[in-house]
Amino acid sequence: MKTYPGIFLVIPVFNEEVIIQNVIHECRRAGFSQIIVVDDGSDDKTYMKVKQSNVILLRHILNRGKGAAIKTGMEAAKLLGAEIIVTLDGDGQHNPKDIDHMLAKIQKGYDVVLGSRLFRYKGMPFMKIVANYAGNFFTWLIYGVWVSDSQSGLRAYAKRAFTVIDTKHDRYAYDSEIIREIARHKLTYCEVPIEIRYTDYSTRKITKQTVLGGIKTLIRIIISS
Amino acid sequence: MNITLYQIVLALVSFGIIFERLIKFFRKEKSQSFFKLATTIIVWVSILVLTLHPQLARTISLFLGLGENLNTLIFIGFIAVFLIIFKLLGIIENLESNITEIIRREALKDIISGKK
Repeated sequence: MKTYPGIFLVIPVFNEEVIIQNVIHECRRAGFSQIIVVDDGSDDKTYMKVKQSNVILLRHILNRGKGAAIKTGMEAAKLLGAEIIVTLDGDGQHNPKDIDHMLAKIQKGYDVVLGSRLFRYKGMPFMKIVANYAGNFFTWLIYGVWVSDSQSGLRAYAKRAFTVIDTKHDRYAYDSEIIREIARHKLTYCEVPIEIRYTDYSTRKITKQTVLGGIKTLIRIIISS
Repeated sequence: MNITLYQIVLALVSFGIIFERLIKFFRKEKSQSFFKLATTIIVWVSILVLTLHPQLARTISLFLGLGENLNTLIFIGFIAVFLIIFKLLGIIENLESNITEIIRREALKDIISGKK
């Protein structure tokens, strides 16, 4: 089995007691041993479940948002000497096997590799596809960079990228803010197709981004820019 | 010219705010900027002038095609409220960011101290 020294996975989680242990085991089976899980103020048993899994566990005492949790995880990875950081969602939608393709691109010299769900969106709910394109459009309008999936949570960062990237947004606007940072620092980037697994569990989660949430995210981005 | 009590009070308040802002700016206090000074002066000098010469409001409303003085004031009031809301949203974003930073430092304290 391949192993990946110097590579840290950062998984932000909020109320994922049902699935988080599976996510961690899947990452381990894929060869990743340095896993940082950031519990973003969960009020279920997520923290206890993750504690049993022998990973680097960090905890926000209050829920601050996915962006905040990822940034905390990345700060931890930097302190622990990471060479490459990969972020992925804690709800089981991402397949850790996709990370290999992303790492190959990092080794070719890319600073950031963005996983894109829209290269193979079979099985993706229609409204989700529409919402993604809307997100892509507004990200392009505000930051001037077009990507096929501006809201994807599966991303890989080389050291040069995560050293200079500085984000301010705590919640869903974070994903678009990374695109801004790529443009601002002239980082090289590419997109790779990733598998996305929609299950009853993941689509029914009430913490997912809604239309109203999307509008609020857009307003936050406009105010801060 | 008949001056009423509200005109005197508003004029004094306007002077006070302009004066205070000028002092803060020339003392180079934290978070002062030329933009803030200019904004304060524009807003409060306008209030001062309109307070002392209320007939100017009619001239402006005729110029803008808004009709009665009250319409002009309501229109300006809406713009002012809109600007205040934007400013408040910016302040709230700042506060949220500070809260997150405190929570992050707490989350990272073991790693920073070398225990993990």
